[in-house]
Amino acid sequence: MATIINIKEEKALETKKFEFTYAGAPEPSLKNISMPIAKNKVTALIGPSGCGKTTLLRSFNRMHDLYPGNNYGGEILFEGRNILTEKEDMIKLRTQIGMIFQKPTAFPMSIFNNVAYGLRLKGIKNKTELADRVEKALKDAAIWKETKARLKDDANGMSGGQQQRLCIARAIAVEPEVLLFDEPTSALDPISTQGIERLIIELKEKVSILIVTHNMQQAARVSDYTGFMYLGDLIELGKTEELFVTPAEKLTEEYITGKFG
Amino acid sequence: MSYTEKRILINKLVMVLSTLSALIGMGFLLWILSILVINGIDAINWNIFIYEGAPPGYEESGLKHALIGQALLIGVSTLIGVPLGILAGTYLSEYGGLKSKLANIIRDISDIMMSAPSIVIGSFVYAVIVAPMGNFSGWAGIAALSIIMVPIILRTTDDMLQLVPSTLREAAFALGAPKYKVILQVVLRGAKTGILTGVLLGVARVSGETAPLLFTSFNDNFLNTDLSEPIASLTVTMFNYATSPYEDWQKLGWAAAFILSMFILTLNILGRVILAPKRNKK
Repeated sequence: MATIINIKEEKALETKKFEFTYAGAPEPSLKNISMPIAKNKVTALIGPSGCGKTTLLRSFNRMHDLYPGNNYGGEILFEGRNILTEKEDMIKLRTQIGMIFQKPTAFPMSIFNNVAYGLRLKGIKNKTELADRVEKALKDAAIWKETKARLKDDANGMSGGQQQRLCIARAIAVEPEVLLFDEPTSALDPISTQGIERLIIELKEKVSILIVTHNMQQAARVSDYTGFMYLGDLIELGKTEELFVTPAEKLTEEYITGKFG
Repeated sequence: MSYTEKRILINKLVMVLSTLSALIGMGFLLWILSILVINGIDAINWNIFIYEGAPPGYEESGLKHALIGQALLIGVSTLIGVPLGILAGTYLSEYGGLKSKLANIIRDISDIMMSAPSIVIGSFVYAVIVAPMGNFSGWAGIAALSIIMVPIILRTTDDMLQLVPSTLREAAFALGAPKYKVILQVVLRGAKTGILTGVLLGVARVSGETAPLLFTSFNDNFLNTDLSEPIASLTVTMFNYATSPYEDWQKLGWAAAFILSMFILTLNILGRVILAPKRNKK
């Protein structure tokens, strides 16, 4: 039923007949999803509330494993292996696939230590190397100018938009292959949102990006590919400009023209 | 009288009644404090800190033995009770969670223990430590105080850790942190002011305990730092001196009451001050 285009680029991630069931739920929340995610591109996931887009996003770094009883089915391929197996090293996977959350999640420590957190977890102890990589990450996240004079200050003293960019700096400091964004601007003002969107477009040179958004304009602005989800199914995946202009599926058309949602 | 007038009248009445009740409560508190301060300051002099207990009538008698004994009892029970309480609270919040049966049973038991009369805990320690060992000892007193302290700190730690947003934990996990590092470096750090307040209140609570010490650490009129022997505490000393018929002993009792109250007051104020800046920011 679904219309999924064949992407020409190399794939960063791919789900095959992926299913997901929450602990104790009688029915799976995600059904039979086969979705390629292009390397060094931005793929957006849109759809009405409760359609499963965040659930799908959180499957790629196996966030659901933090809570007992959740069940995966099918496959998620990453670097040629299925990451849903028992033997998958969660710690390594999560350094390769980073995540940015809806609300900024600055840790209760200094700005510097926030960004250095992932690096230290990776075992980097050398002070100059840490300082260099923190600086680079903050520059890449376009927040170096605002933070260079106050690296030792508590990160929770920053504004929401700054904190979100700090979280992006923290995530890219460990040089992941993929970044997952879960509605990263829904808690931010328009100007901060613009900054984050510009950043996402810049970042795709280095990482592959998957972004869940409630905002269709945002998906149109930042993404190369867009997937439309509805009631746990992936209805359509296409090039962003094609999906928004000439959707293949009737449901997609109804959603993007505002007939429901 | 119109409906609005009636409402305004009831409004005023309730306001007057509640203000009066608050004033009565405050009044008694200030009364207690002022009597304590008047008698306490009058009783305090350098001798109190220099000399140990002495028979009535001696100039050179003081509370040195009780102050040191009290510090030992509180200090060692804090060293035992605080880590136990924080670790157990961490288990409840981070490993048990709100749905775990075991964690909820522990929560209920610790709530019961918190409201249990402290004399019951004293008699328990008497039965399991003092009686088999054959004598009162500092260790028995420490055991009783630690038992009283643990549930207070455990519950505050549990509550404070629950307040740390789960997205903060997820963010740390998403960077590839193992669970123990998430707990130690992010969750506990995020809750540290709240936990510290719990610790201060827990210490303040056991500092005022008398009943459980009466038949565990008992008392000693002279300086003793051997915890396997009976040991003096400010509270039991105060009880003994205050109920004695000798005026100079009664004075020492006031001094002990004053010092103890000031110590507990300071801890309580400190606990509130530490929490205050965080509240204002939000």
